[in-house]
Amino acid sequence: MSDNKKIGARGYVLPALVVIFSFSLIYIVVVLIPDMTMVKIHPSEYAMEYVQKDEKGEILRDDKGIPVPNAAGRGRKVYIKEGCFYCHSQFVRPQDRDFGSRVYAGDYANETPNILGTSRTGPDLSNEGQKLPDAWHIGHLRDPRAYTPGSIMPSFSFLGDEDMSDLVEYIQSLGQKRFEDPKNRQIYEAYYPEADTAFWKKSEHHKPNVDSAAAANAGAGIFRQNCAVCHGTNGLGNGPNALAMAKKPANFSEPFYKSYSDKTWYYRVAEGVPGTRMPRWKLKLAPEQMWYLVAYLKTLPQEKEVIIEKFQTINDKDWEDQSSLPQRLVDTYENISRMKDNGTYKSNPGGEIEGVAGGH
Amino acid sequence: MSNKFLSNEEGSSPKFFWYSAIFWLVIGMGAGLLGALEFSFPDLTKGVEQLSFTRLRPAHVNTVAFGWLSMANIGSALFIIPALCKTKLFSEKLANFTCYVWNFVIGAGFISLLNGYTEGREYAEYREPFDILVLVGLALLSYNLFRTVLTRNVKKLYVSVWYIMGAFFWMPLVYLVGNRTFVAMDGLNDGILNWFYGHNILGMWFTVLGVGIAYYMVPKMTGRPVWSHSLSMFGFWTIAFFYAPTGTHHLLQSPVPEWLKALAVIFSAALLIPVISVLVNFYMSMKGSWWMLTTNMPLRFVLTGAFWYFITCIQGPFQAMRGVNWYIHFTQWVVGHAHVALLGTFTFFVIGAMYYGLQRLTGRRIYSVRLVKWHYWLLLVGFTLFFFSLTIAGLQQAVGWALAYPVAQWSLTLVPMWMVRSIGGTMMFASSCLFAYNIFMTMRENSITPKDQLDIAVPVEEGK
Repeated sequence: MSDNKKIGARGYVLPALVVIFSFSLIYIVVVLIPDMTMVKIHPSEYAMEYVQKDEKGEILRDDKGIPVPNAAGRGRKVYIKEGCFYCHSQFVRPQDRDFGSRVYAGDYANETPNILGTSRTGPDLSNEGQKLPDAWHIGHLRDPRAYTPGSIMPSFSFLGDEDMSDLVEYIQSLGQKRFEDPKNRQIYEAYYPEADTAFWKKSEHHKPNVDSAAAANAGAGIFRQNCAVCHGTNGLGNGPNALAMAKKPANFSEPFYKSYSDKTWYYRVAEGVPGTRMPRWKLKLAPEQMWYLVAYLKTLPQEKEVIIEKFQTINDKDWEDQSSLPQRLVDTYENISRMKDNGTYKSNPGGEIEGVAGGH
Repeated sequence: MSNKFLSNEEGSSPKFFWYSAIFWLVIGMGAGLLGALEFSFPDLTKGVEQLSFTRLRPAHVNTVAFGWLSMANIGSALFIIPALCKTKLFSEKLANFTCYVWNFVIGAGFISLLNGYTEGREYAEYREPFDILVLVGLALLSYNLFRTVLTRNVKKLYVSVWYIMGAFFWMPLVYLVGNRTFVAMDGLNDGILNWFYGHNILGMWFTVLGVGIAYYMVPKMTGRPVWSHSLSMFGFWTIAFFYAPTGTHHLLQSPVPEWLKALAVIFSAALLIPVISVLVNFYMSMKGSWWMLTTNMPLRFVLTGAFWYFITCIQGPFQAMRGVNWYIHFTQWVVGHAHVALLGTFTFFVIGAMYYGLQRLTGRRIYSVRLVKWHYWLLLVGFTLFFFSLTIAGLQQAVGWALAYPVAQWSLTLVPMWMVRSIGGTMMFASSCLFAYNIFMTMRENSITPKDQLDIAVPVEEGK
């Protein structure tokens, strides 16, 4: 620099300052200000907790002062390490349907590093918890195509029992608090049977005579094609898919269903049941078809509840008897019994939720 | 010994960076190709945790972004800056040392990402030790290049110097802030910062370096001056002002503050201004020289890059609009768009620069012109297939998400697209292997060609 002092930075000091100043300004506006304004948002009631607490509610810390993660917290680390967030987002957008309630700023308070995700190759997982049993998740993580044919999810069969159990714990905790809040269960107002909304006017336009035998007959066909896999051919909630569900499908023989009006039936079919695998049929069926279904559902006997003792059960004991099980199911079963032996397996954390499947 | 491993020879550091970059290109692209194949054959590497898609993806992204493109761009900067300043590089030794540091980061980072040692933030997956080493490398390079510019022998700075100096000012800051190694932020703020970083390594690093390189290469290769100097400076200043706040357009439907989203969308749209000014300048500089594309392969690479730059920079602001983003967010089209920028545009720019620069630095004619042509066409056709398959797949996914059909109902319709993508990826990987082989054979050649005969870089008639 010494021999070239004549040129140096002369004449370029001002532009250099402009570059530095403009970038600092942008940094302050785009990064620092959002942080300062948003930091005031406290963790919401749905914010997940990933650390262990003692009886007084104090966070447990190890000797280095780092909070001790709970099982879900450990599972979250596995989720990040295995890169699940590259294909599964965790933010429900206003326009998303079927992924449950939206997620707000305070809900993310404990989510560092963020796993909002940028790409959805698989479904959003914000509210995935408790929809399917642990055994399903373990089997699906080990061999995705045995559970959802056509899936391109990689197999995570290399995960150890400890990691697998933590990961499933984490998945089962997703959106759990949000789901348990009754105010998030329904968006009933728009469809309220007495409301004279555009939705009803539109569906009324296609409404057949739901008391006619012909309509019920048409509905029976639609029922067998679409509903019987879960609800069973006679609507007793014992279809083959019911085996693998944490929340069993509704049994339409319950006298409770006598209280359903036509519009309630229609609403339930159209909107599905949040927190279960019951889909929103309005996405697939036309209003006319759903009215036919209502006609059929009304004809089911609802005087006396028929209780089916057994599905084709997925009970561990029965599995042993079935010598013709495919090898991968046998593998899954062996894995689960091994986890039971070493104490890392828990069936359905949070327990059964009564009555949800019936839509009470 | 120290002279052998830390050469002080003029022009040794750009060569070192470029050769390393080509090595990482083959490794990184290989990882990407294997990942793409796993979309078609999900059980291809079942049971091998290091080769599962979710481990390959960060390894691929970081290796091609930091190993290939960054190192190739740095090599070009180390080649261009001394040439434009009519002086020697401040310290070749320091630059060579930086290259060792950088190679260590990429190699160790690649292995550690495959083994799940990750930070879990997109584009910032390298863990703390590697972050520090990258920052050390960037600081050393910035110091080296700024000192070179200060000791220059020309008074006025050409626009490429502005761009490259800008990149070496912004990138260390963006990397330092974006990797927030020692600052833990809460949830959504972490996401905002993640995308401030994620978008600005594109905007304030790859774009400014790539455009700076192209601004040097187009006039050099055609032998005509750049069309308008004031327009080129206008492009620089508008990029400097408009690019940095756009990152939040990756989070448009998330609960970040609305004003921040509005800012991101407005500035994304404003990016059309620098882009159009840069492209007008490139194309007008080509006036009267278009015939050279038939014979001059490096120029053809750079101009193809300029074509993809047009595509990516029209598409980017379009995708960032709220109404469009509503529909196409979360889909593979966005992945396709990211590849047009990094692979289509900046890789083509820098490959042109490498063919041009390596011949001059080594004084050797390229080993085989035919291989250069194969490289060009395989890369172009492969990438076109890749880009269109991802665009179509993205639009199909967009329908699926918008109508909320379960994934299982439409994921099978994407199977042909994954196949086409793998085919395109295979072609691109093959082209990179040819590229590496060609450069390797050029390195081994002993005959030195006089400098004046390298002027038209690869004349067709004399090709093997």
